[in-house]
Parts: sequence; C-alpha cells; structure tokens
Amino acid sequence: MSNLVIARRSLLLGSAAVGVLPAVAFADGPDVGKPAPPFTAVDSNGKTWSLADLKGKVVVIETTNDGCPYVRKHYNAKNMQDQQREAAAKGVVWLTSASSAKGEQGYVTAQQANDLTRSWNAAPAAVLLDPQSKIARAYGATVTPHMYIIDANGVLVYKGGIDSIPSSSTSDIPKAKQYVRVALGEVLAGKPVTDSSTRAYGCTLKYPRTSS
Amino acid sequence: MKRLFALLLALLTAAPAFAQSVVQTENVRAELLADASAIKPGEPFWVGLRQTIRPKWHTYWKNPGDSGLPTEITWKLPEGAKADPIVWPRPHLFDLSGVINYGFKDEATLLVRITPPANASGSFKLAAEANWLVCEDVCIPEDGKFELTLPVTATGAPAPPATRAIFDKARQQVPMQSPWPARYGVVKSGDPTLIVEAKGLKADTIRDVYFFPADWGPVASMAKQTASIGAEGIRIPLKRGDAKANLPADLSGTLVLSEKTADGEVRQAFDVTAKLDPNFVPTSSLAAAGGEQLSLVEALLFALLGGLILNLMPCVFPVLAMKAAAFARLAGHERSAMRRDGVAYTLGVLVSFAAMAAIVIAIRTSVGDVSWGFQFQSPVFSLLIAYLFFVVGLNLSGVFEFSSRFAGVGQGLVARGGTAGAFFTGVLAVIVATPCTAPFMAAALGFALSQPAPQTVAVLLALGLGLALPYLALSLTPALQRLMPRPGPWMDRLRQFLAFPMYASAVWMIWVLTQQTGDDGVIYALGGMILIAFAIWLLKLGSGASAATWLRRGLAAVAVLLAFAAALKLEDGSATAASASGGPAAGVNFDGWERFSRARMNEAVAAGKPVFVDFTAAWCITCLVNERVALETQAVRNGFEQAGVVKLKGDWTNRDPEITSLLKELGRAGVPLYLFWAPGAAQPKILPQVLTESLILSELAALPPAAKR
Repeated sequence: MSNLVIARRSLLLGSAAVGVLPAVAFADGPDVGKPAPPFTAVDSNGKTWSLADLKGKVVVIETTNDGCPYVRKHYNAKNMQDQQREAAAKGVVWLTSASSAKGEQGYVTAQQANDLTRSWNAAPAAVLLDPQSKIARAYGATVTPHMYIIDANGVLVYKGGIDSIPSSSTSDIPKAKQYVRVALGEVLAGKPVTDSSTRAYGCTLKYPRTSS
Repeated sequence: MKRLFALLLALLTAAPAFAQSVVQTENVRAELLADASAIKPGEPFWVGLRQTIRPKWHTYWKNPGDSGLPTEITWKLPEGAKADPIVWPRPHLFDLSGVINYGFKDEATLLVRITPPANASGSFKLAAEANWLVCEDVCIPEDGKFELTLPVTATGAPAPPATRAIFDKARQQVPMQSPWPARYGVVKSGDPTLIVEAKGLKADTIRDVYFFPADWGPVASMAKQTASIGAEGIRIPLKRGDAKANLPADLSGTLVLSEKTADGEVRQAFDVTAKLDPNFVPTSSLAAAGGEQLSLVEALLFALLGGLILNLMPCVFPVLAMKAAAFARLAGHERSAMRRDGVAYTLGVLVSFAAMAAIVIAIRTSVGDVSWGFQFQSPVFSLLIAYLFFVVGLNLSGVFEFSSRFAGVGQGLVARGGTAGAFFTGVLAVIVATPCTAPFMAAALGFALSQPAPQTVAVLLALGLGLALPYLALSLTPALQRLMPRPGPWMDRLRQFLAFPMYASAVWMIWVLTQQTGDDGVIYALGGMILIAFAIWLLKLGSGASAATWLRRGLAAVAVLLAFAAALKLEDGSATAASASGGPAAGVNFDGWERFSRARMNEAVAAGKPVFVDFTAAWCITCLVNERVALETQAVRNGFEQAGVVKLKGDWTNRDPEITSLLKELGRAGVPLYLFWAPGAAQPKILPQVLTESLILSELAALPPAAKR
C-alpha cells in the first residue's frame, strides 16, 4: 500500500516536472460517437427541455447569437429557417440555444428571443435560454453557429459547422456543402454520417467572463 | 452600392501610383505596399498588406483557431503575372474565456511575392480585394479594394527607406524555417506529441513555448500546451483535434517561444514540419508520467492517503500511540475536553499546511508561473531530488538517525495540555515530523507547484487532513484505540521496508536525469551518492571534540561538497552531452570565422582593421536565428569580405572564462553579444541582440572608405 503511494507520488512529481497535469480550465466537447452530454434548459416560452426526454428522436442543437454576422448570414439567406422547417417536417427536434452570457452580444430575454424568431420567421422547436453557457460548455461549442446532431439513441453523430465555406457572404451558401442537411439525411436513413466532425466557423461564443 | 461606385471611379480614372492603396474601415487601417518603387520584368518583388488594427481588436492567422477567419486576398494581376500565397507573420494567442484564437493585434503585415511576366513593360497594375474578420468580443467582417501601379524599368528601383523599413520589420516577424528536424508520435490516448529536436537548449532560458498548428483538425487549439525541454529537444504533448481522419503524415505549424537573453526576452518563431514517427515511444522520456494524469479528485485522495500514511512513520506513530492510550484511559467530562483537543490539533495541522500552501503560491507568483515549471527540467533539480530520496532511504534503512531531539520536543509538546496547547501541538507536529515526512512533502510540494492556486491549497490541505485524521478520530472515539496496532518491532520493519520504494524513486530520478543529460548523468549521480553515504558513515563514527572527529567532519564536508559539485558539472554538461549526440544545432559553427581570443581581437584592432565579434552559444536560439537571417546571408558575407572585416566568433556554450570576463567588463550577463570595431575606434560598438541583414549592411556601409579597400 505504502510503496504504491510513494511510487505514485514520484510519478506525481514527474508529472509536475513535465507539467502535463490536465488543465481543468475548459473541457473539450464530447467526441462524435459518444453519448451526447445531457442538459436541461428552459425555452423562451417557459417550457423545460431535457435531452433525456427526447430519446427516440433525432435532435439538432444550433448555438446562436443574433449580433453575429455569421449567424445573420444564414438567417438573412433563409438557409437556417429552411433547414429548421425541413427538419421539423421529418420529426427532428431542432433546438436553438442562445448561449451568450448576460451582458454579451447575443444575450436575449425570452421576449427578445421570441421577437427574433418572429422577425426571422425562424422555425426551431424551441429557443433555449442558456445565459450561463451551460449547454455550450457541455458541448464544447466555440462559435455561433456551432451545430450538433444527436441520434435517436442519444449518441452525438455530428458536430461542426453549418456548411463547408467559412465566409460571411450569403452568396457562398449555394456553393457550400450543407453539412447539417446532408448529415440529417444520413441519420434519418439509418446510415453513418460521412462528415461527422467538421470545422465550425463563426463568431466566438460569448462565454461568461469570469470563466476561463 | 457606394463601394461599387468607388470601384467604378477607380477604374475610370487613370490612377496614379499608390492610389487606392489605403482602406480605412471602422477597426482596421489596411494598406497595400510594395518594396519596389519600380519593378524589373520577370523579377519577383514583394508586396505587403499592412493591417493597423484598433487597440484590443485582432485579425486572424492562416489557422484562426477555435473561431474566426483568416484574411483572404484575391489578386487581379496583368496577364502572365503570378502571386504566391500569403507569407504570414508569427501569430499571437488570444484566450477569449477559454476559446482560443490565433491572430494578430496592433499591426500585422501579410507578405506576398509577386512575379511579373518577363515581357512586362510600361506600368504594372496590381489590384487586390481583401477581406478580413476583425474581432474584439464581437466580430466584424470587413473588406477593401486595393490598387498599386508600379512603373516597369530595366533595372527596377527599391522603395523609399520608410517603406523598406516596414518590410524589414515585417520580415522579422515571419517565422524562420526550423533549423531542427521535428517528428511527432501518437500516445496511447490517441493524442499527438510533438518533438522538435533542438538539442542542447537550456531549459531555464526558454519559456512560453507554443505550437500553432497550421491547419484545423489534427490538433485541438483549445487544449493548453505545456512544453518541456530536455536532451531530446522540445517536447510538446498536444491534444488531438476534431478531424475524424487519421493523423497526417506531416504535422505542420509554427513553433513560437521566448528566449531570455542578457537584454531581455526575444520572441522567436519557427516553421516546423513534423513527420509521423511510427516508432515513437511515448514512455522514453519524462513524459512517462504523462500517462499518469491525475484528476483533482484523484490527487486529493492520494494526498489524503499520503497524509494518513505519514502517521505510520516512526517520528509520528509513537506519539500517536501514546496519545491514543492516554485517551482510552480518560472518561466522563474529560472526554469533551479531549474532543476539543482533537479539533484544535486538526486545526493546527491544517493551518500549518495552509501556511505552506501560501508560501508555495507566493514563491510561484514571484518567480512567474510558466518559467517555474521549467525548473523541474533542470538536471540539477533531478539530481538533488535523487540525492534526497537516497538520503531518506538510508535514514529509513537505519543507516543513520536524524537528531532525536526533534522527537523529544514532539513528546514534550503532546504532554502539554489545554486547547491552545493542542493547536500548537498540531502546528509543531507538522514541523517535528519533518525528518520522516520530507520526501512526501517534497513530492507533494512539487505537484502543488505545478497547479493553479486553488488546487495547490486543496491538495496540501488534504495532505494535512490525512495527517490529522487518526488523532481526530481517536479523540472523538477513543474506542478506536483498540483497533490500533501496538507500537513494536513492526514499526522498525515497516520503516526499513519503506526504504526500498525510496531507493526505487532515487533510481527513477537518475533515469530522468539521464534523459536530460545523457549517460554521463549516471556516473555523477551514483558517484555523488557514494560520497554522501561515505560522509554519513564518517559522521557516525564518533562524536566529541577530539582531533580525529574534526578530521572526519572535515572529510565528510569535502565529500558532500564534491557530491554537490557534480550538480554544477551537470549544468554545464547538459549542453555538452547533447552536442556529443549530434544534431544540427548541437555545436557552434566556425565556418568562415576565426576563434575569438582577446589577444587576436586586440591585435586586429591595433592593426586598424574593422573587427566583428560574435559571442554565441550552442543553446542560444537568438544567436542561431541571427546567424541565419543576418550574419550568414550571401549579402552580408560579401559585405564582410569586401570591407576586409576580421570575423571572430566566441563560443560561450561552456561558459568560457575569457569570454565571461569580457562580458562582465562590458556589463553583459550573457549572449548574444555582437561587437563591431570600426578601424581606429577606441571602443567597440555594441550591436542590438536582434540583428537584421540591413542593419549589418548599413554598419558596413558607414565604414570610412579607407577601410573598404
């Protein structure tokens, strides 16, 4: 017993020497193919959503920030709304998460979230209010929009960008491969997702300042 | 619409040279510059997109990191002309609440090489459309259109000096091709580890090492990087990124580091391409411990367990056993006093450990977080820890005893009563137990040093709680006393047994040492241990004031001094050992240079020749970079030769005393140091520690004509 501890202690010293002890600052998001992190959040209409309750359904998570030019790109071009409607038509639960911290760009009250949904004519199943960036943090989101797809078994099957051309120009949308649309098609067809982890692009997610 | 109009206007009006080359947006002033005021057909020239960025805002590098987008330039060039990809300055790291971005602040110049066609004539018109994302907390995509018209002449003409200075500065920011080979391997977790084979570096002069991966995918930018520097070079354990594909055959990126030199810190950047090394053995070095990453909870559990085990140590256990027996005899109202006693004792122990944590944190903040970690890379540190383990092992084996006065003090304290007494018993128990707990404490403190402040405090408090727990438990439940083993010979056996893990730890530290210094480390470490054991034996032979005793003491002191002298030898030896093992940066290259000696320098100066002296060292990265970018370029070599400069190079790798004395005279603490004696000068000119080609050339141009021969 004791010798084990001493050996372990020396190793501890060794790890101190190379300084490879894990940085607890920021956990990376889950890997594709692993169970999606659970969350519970209240939406802009006061309804509580829990991932555990959505088992059996395919779920899309979209991080948003209405002040972000990249989010606006996809809403101004109606790309996001179209994909939300397509998803809803196929029984997919599309959750838009407003994960900006209070006081930061993209933070919205319930009323503001509903106004935005109306003015954009958006069609998510719900806009989750995530002012402490809990959902974003659990999923390791770094940008808006950062997209995730969770299959009916609760497994994360896609994470990354909305499409393949990282730019703020709406004219690039038709040229880009719409990763989320393609991946959803594959998931609903029971096929593995081809591009399951792609580069997300957009504005830095506005986490609470105190965290680092 | 407005922009379109501006474009039309630009197209319609015959734009004079440099027109439209500045775009001022809300957050960035962008300017397109050329390093030529007239170009030569077929001969490449450079243009730069210079971004002056609003304070606190940043634009992005080619790999922007976790968010953001790199600046893009689309060229419209005359037929037959060619624009190369952007040559990027070295990036900075921006941490936005944990989201990592790579980019530029204040000012950045993106360089592009343009090759005009061989048949170019008249004027050459470059048009560019650039778009960039500029962010502070919020991000704004911006763009601009630029146009430059340059006359084409038979000889070309350089840009005005002010513009050339901008290009000079920009080129200094461009990473140099790494002078060292690099490889990377994959550890068990699937994460890549990068090794840049920069052998013979001094760990204590290098800090803030960071590898900026060139592309998204193979490496996670969000993960913290902690580089270590050892005999094999620079080792950076990375975290695998999100790309699903296998790791690439070549991992490329930019290695940025700061080197501490006599004049302050110099930031250096190198482009690195690391080949995937299938034979990579992750356990071949210090990183052996890397697999043993402990979570905070684990670390706390081990600290608690370690603290509990401290109670079994011979300096602590008898005291505990005695106290337990005393508790068991008590009854009734004394029990409550006893409980108070136990709590006060616990508090005393915890306060002592908290004080220790405060000291550790104070040391760390005064030394600086990052550089402190590198102290652990020092072979001297490894050797001293190996000695410590060895000496503690000898003690546990019973070869010698630490002064028994300590234990006496301890028993005296425990005998004293009162709540305050119990509190100070706790405080002093921590101090008194030191002879037995030192190795545990050294290890725990070593761990604590590498942790953020809250973890440091938590781990040390857990250790203290472990130490206090049995006493506390006994004071609350005296019945537990029955479960305690009686003091007896088993204590000695346990103590003797514990010596072996100590020796094993010493062996492990020696192995770590050889990783840092090469094979020579073994002979110094083992020789030093023999000397220490010899000294202990001498001291044990007898006491008293006889002449023989004093002689033995003297001898013991000499032996110990010799053992520690090995440590000093190792510090110098680390560079030597590495240079013996080869590698491009392993030695100082004297090609085309004479070896420095003061006599040779004085002679050349007296002869009225211009003399350039380069003081360098194998471990000095800044020296190496200066050689590559300034001292050994063709233009500078030619310039030296034409001016008849006597080139002397002093190698300070092993702290040559002649050079050290000269450095001291000039008030310098180390290398790089460049001296330039103009002919007939009474004093040399000290050049800056970061050289450029143009700086040397202008020094040479300023020489009086007589010297130019």
